[in-house]
Amino acid sequence: MAALFEARGLAIHFGGIKAVDGISFTVDAGTIFTIIGPNGAGKTTIFNLVSRIYRPTAGTILLDGADITAIPAHHIARHGIARTFQNIELFDNRSVLQNIMVGQHVHIRTNVFAETLRLPSVIAAEVKMRRKVEEIIDFLRLAPYRDARVGGLPYGVRKMVELGRALACEPKLLLLDEPSSGLNVEETDDIGVLIGDIRDVLGITVLMVEHDMRLVSAVSDRVLAVNFGRQLALGTPAEVQRDQAVIAAYLGSG
Amino acid sequence: MDMKRSYRDDLRLFPGGGTMAAYAVLAAILLALPLVAGNYMLSQVTFVFINGTVAVGLMLLIGYTGQISLGHAAFFSVGAYVGAVLQIRGVPTLGALVAAGAVTGIVGVIVGLPALRMRGIYLAMATLAFAFIVEEVIVRWTSVTRGNRGLNIPDPVILGHKLSTGTDIYYLAFGVFVIVLLAVINILRGRTGRALAAILDSDIAAECMGINIALFKTIAFAVSAAATGLAGAVYGHKLGYISPEQFSIQLSVEFLMMVIIGGLGSLHGAVFGAIFVVVLPQAILLAKPLLPTRIAEQPILDTAAFGIIVILFVMFEPRGLNGYWVRMKAWFSLYPFYRRGMFKRGRIAAADLVKH
Ligand SMILES: Nc1ncnc2c1ncn2[C@@H]1O[C@H](COP(=O)(O)OP(=O)(O)OP(=O)(O)O)[C@@H](O)[C@H]1O
Ligand SMILES: [Mg+2]
Repeated sequence: MAALFEARGLAIHFGGIKAVDGISFTVDAGTIFTIIGPNGAGKTTIFNLVSRIYRPTAGTILLDGADITAIPAHHIARHGIARTFQNIELFDNRSVLQNIMVGQHVHIRTNVFAETLRLPSVIAAEVKMRRKVEEIIDFLRLAPYRDARVGGLPYGVRKMVELGRALACEPKLLLLDEPSSGLNVEETDDIGVLIGDIRDVLGITVLMVEHDMRLVSAVSDRVLAVNFGRQLALGTPAEVQRDQAVIAAYLGSG
Repeated sequence: MDMKRSYRDDLRLFPGGGTMAAYAVLAAILLALPLVAGNYMLSQVTFVFINGTVAVGLMLLIGYTGQISLGHAAFFSVGAYVGAVLQIRGVPTLGALVAAGAVTGIVGVIVGLPALRMRGIYLAMATLAFAFIVEEVIVRWTSVTRGNRGLNIPDPVILGHKLSTGTDIYYLAFGVFVIVLLAVINILRGRTGRALAAILDSDIAAECMGINIALFKTIAFAVSAAATGLAGAVYGHKLGYISPEQFSIQLSVEFLMMVIIGGLGSLHGAVFGAIFVVVLPQAILLAKPLLPTRIAEQPILDTAAFGIIVILFVMFEPRGLNGYWVRMKAWFSLYPFYRRGMFKRGRIAAADLVKH
């Protein structure tokens, strides 16, 4: 299997805090790779480095063998990486439909002059975009909420909308930051099945951060455990869960 | 309840047949107005169109991207002067109008670029400074602008037809307003509009969706400036004469009031605001005899009234006149089931502007 994504010696220091301190891993195409670790371990920071919200102090990020360490943040989606956020970052004043449509931004190539005149090319692009968005709405069963303002929806639905928006980017690699947080047991099981479908049906490689070990074991192909910005263990879910350093870190952090 | 509609349906300009009929009637009334209205009335409606063109452009900037501007009187003057100077030098009117919009749009890009690093009150200050610079340039560049003596603008000629009457200018202003309105609607419902809305709500998420924030904020400035410049050129034709003092800071403030009073984040609101700033001075004029002399004779009566009304709106109805409009429509369509507080949630409150 070919490596789709690779992080080499990734590090970022905030003043004295070494939030990420030399992390390396590869994610094979068509797999689910999970990062676990205690609170404050640096998991979200790794995501923020990959999406170029932060500039790494050291290290390299490769996608499909191409170095994407230095490209601007708004080019990341174009290269095929989409993400969700630990604390949900939606466009709250817009409808579900409008939020997911934004995900298609990089796949529409109209410019503002053509849009002003509403040229046939613009209408064609909008129809194509809309078709894709409706597929995603069906896939995530969001149809009942299509025109609802996102800000007023229940937490679980908002998480789905955010996932939908990321899928609308049609990414090669999907980053999910704690997909199960705030969900009940049933919803967590559902999201597990969904993540499996995203890999198997949509063929999208998944890199996720997750705390729920049941979910991690159920869907992950590989697991990386981190603490204090460093690797504790790397392997299959079972291997990592047996690892002494991992057990110690979790006991230590309570 | 799954109400999946055909996409084509959503792509249409008017959501339903009823809305379309209403707009058709409105357009017919406005087209026929010169047949029944007197010169004075026609003139006032012409100013509503000119202000409305500015308001629609400014709404795109303030109401849809959260960038504030106290410099729009300057864009207005750039458009007016470009249009006037070209007209005087014999450029055909249509060409002069297009150039006025284009040049002002480019000036908008130049102002928009440094504006990328600023928000809220700092952006307001920077655009204000820009307005002062433009005013200075117009006053000093006498070889082109004739400075404080101003410029007399010859009658515009469009397709061989000389626009010399108030009615002609009325149609010119109407046409430009409709074109700008349609352009802005088209921008807002396309990729650019979605990008602007996304940036307003969460710039981090917008960036991760591949939206180039700097580019789209600059586009918003450019489009807003271009619309305002076009309006300025029409304004020049309306008055037949322009001079620097017509484009004071007070005009910028008046523009800003249009969008705040009208209701941020709504094009209906922009139009309501434009009507409001034309009607208010008339209303004050009518009310003057009723007021105690000491108040009625205050020279700042207009300004003070504007200020107080803006404050009241910001405090009690941040969604502006459009907020009343939305509720009134709801009341009629839901009667007798309408409940108070059904539409509490607004888009952005005027007070939020300082944060953006
Ligand atoms: N912008 C920043 N400035 C300073 N410190 C930061 C910044 N971002 C993250 N950190 C620090 O880096 C460390 C790792 O934070 P991070 O959010 O990556 O943890 P996490 O593993 O995602 O934790 P959690 O499970 O709670 O989400 C923390 O100590 C945090 O305070
Ligand atoms: Mg985190």
